[in-house]
Amino acid sequence: MSLDFAFYPGCAGKQVQKEAEWAARAVCDQLGIKLHDMPRATCCGAVSLRETKPAFSLAVAARILGEAEASGRDLCTICNTCLQTLSHANYRFKTEPDILEQINKANQQAGIPAYRASIKVQHLLWVITDQVDQKALKDKIKKPLAGLKVAPFYGCHNLRPAEIFASNAGEKADHLHRLITLLGGEAVSYDGHDKCCGFHVMLSDPAEMRGMVAKNCLSAKEAGAQVMITPCTLCDMSMGAYQGIAEKTVGKSINLPEMNFAQLLGVAMGIDEARLGVHRLHVDPKPILAQTGYPLTRSPCWR
Amino acid sequence: MAEQSYTFRIQRNQVAGNGRLETRWQEYKVTMPPNATILNALEEIKGKQDGSVTYRQSCRSAICGSCGMKISGHTRLACKTHIGWVARNGVVELRPQGNQPVLKDLAVDIGPFFKRVHTIRPYLDEGPEADANVGKTAYEQVNQVSQCIMCGCCYSDCTMAEVSPTFIGPAALAKAFRFVSDPREGKKTDRLRQLSEPHMMWSCARCAMCVEACPKGVKPMEAIVKLRTRGMQKGFNDGAGQRHALAFHVDIQKGGDLNEFTLMMRTLGLGGTLKETGAALHLMKKGKIPSPFPHKAQGFEELKKVYDILERNPLDVETKAADIVPE
Ligand code: SF4
Ligand code: SF4
Ligand code: FES
Repeated sequence: MSLDFAFYPGCAGKQVQKEAEWAARAVCDQLGIKLHDMPRATCCGAVSLRETKPAFSLAVAARILGEAEASGRDLCTICNTCLQTLSHANYRFKTEPDILEQINKANQQAGIPAYRASIKVQHLLWVITDQVDQKALKDKIKKPLAGLKVAPFYGCHNLRPAEIFASNAGEKADHLHRLITLLGGEAVSYDGHDKCCGFHVMLSDPAEMRGMVAKNCLSAKEAGAQVMITPCTLCDMSMGAYQGIAEKTVGKSINLPEMNFAQLLGVAMGIDEARLGVHRLHVDPKPILAQTGYPLTRSPCWR
Repeated sequence: MAEQSYTFRIQRNQVAGNGRLETRWQEYKVTMPPNATILNALEEIKGKQDGSVTYRQSCRSAICGSCGMKISGHTRLACKTHIGWVARNGVVELRPQGNQPVLKDLAVDIGPFFKRVHTIRPYLDEGPEADANVGKTAYEQVNQVSQCIMCGCCYSDCTMAEVSPTFIGPAALAKAFRFVSDPREGKKTDRLRQLSEPHMMWSCARCAMCVEACPKGVKPMEAIVKLRTRGMQKGFNDGAGQRHALAFHVDIQKGGDLNEFTLMMRTLGLGGTLKETGAALHLMKKGKIPSPFPHKAQGFEELKKVYDILERNPLDVETKAADIVPE
């Protein structure tokens, strides 16, 4: 199977959470997954555009999906909200041909090629756990996690609503669990694994958002987690970058290192920590990783 | 189907004399076929093993909405859920609904839930916006949400309700949409004004937990999305949620990517942004400051064109109710 994708990192992956994009590219290099840039792709509009301008949001999605389709590839992303937004539009295009036709008509008047709804929207996590040969993947693991207790945090838009996704979602999803086991870690079972990181109410309901971050992290810690991983740049932002802010709001110390799944995978593959952007994480995972028996790889000459 | 042995781990709750809830876990063994329901098992336990186990039930047919409880982590109707769907290594865990005061064992006080539903005035109002002409397609939207049986499963699993005692919750918002979208309703605008206030429709975190939890396919979050669209169309845009949402179509036309640099200013205004300075400084420590000039996508001008086309000739892309098939 050819593992060639039109790569759609999303606005956060291109800007504030660019370490997730670095890590994604680094692990894909090693696994022979080709990520092709999408020069025409714009922001997908996230949860908001569907509320403000429902028809325009479908036009934007059709233009993005059409660019991938024209290159003959499925689209692959590392942001759950992009995944959900584009999967939702794609699901509608595949199941409601009238809508696709109307949107294509408007897009074509603006010079945008028609979309034929022939591609799938993929998450890089699914590609790695379902499409890459698992034995080949295991061979790349130079530094198995030696029983490290890892909290899988899936994020809402990787899971729900289940019917729109091109892979197992809802309660059937077990991608992160399988990845953790394959890396030699132990997936801890805790209440927050399928809950909300609060990203989309970060500005409108800040106290509640921080409450969600604290609740999820603390439930993971109580279950023994030493580190948390997510498949989403926005969950990374909430659970990682905002964790310190949440600590102040709820008045409790949390101190749970949070990483993008591609970063932890890269660490286990022995990829240079600078290339994985580990230094950009708010809660430093290095002490706990060193304690569990394997310091990170750091070559002074990278870059 | 062949019978199997299952362990039911049931949370036993009792309000003590001092008003505090005392919680313990108790295990029961039942032998049943996997297609028996959780309610069948509870009846077996209560009838033959321990009469003190308390839960609510009535219709046994997913109609009355009284048997919602947390079954293996998520809230479901006991009478609609097969044991085989939810047993994990032969174990089924039962807890009372979340976000509601527990009365005893698996029974919760549904009063606060219904109080929220009542705040949206769950009945048609007379008023100037009432339309006497009820056409063939008039109920496409109403039907989407009128399946609700007020079981509270969505509210029990709502991630915003878990951290916010003031959030109105998914069922009340779905019910509100039922009236806003009913042509006969007389005060649609007034309802949208009320729904645009804090802790109402703009506080939903868009987690879709309610969509998964609802046993009747109501999809409360989809109703919330439609309510927000209607609220903004009426001009109720004076809130952080609305201002944040309204940034996207502007940025996409301007260059393609979201301008995260100015997003906070536009959402919170200067005062709000200053209040968030602590958070911004915290992010700055790791260089997490977006560029003020996000990258421009090739051909983004096309989007301005299609935007204008769709503004001139609006397309109705709202999802409509599927035909109702009796279960
Ligand atoms: S989508 Fe909104 S209403 Fe539904 S469960 Fe999540 S926060 Fe609650
Ligand atoms: S929306 Fe669904 S889950 Fe919520 S109360 Fe109504 S029927 Fe129950
Ligand atoms: S007993 Fe009526 S809904 Fe379950």
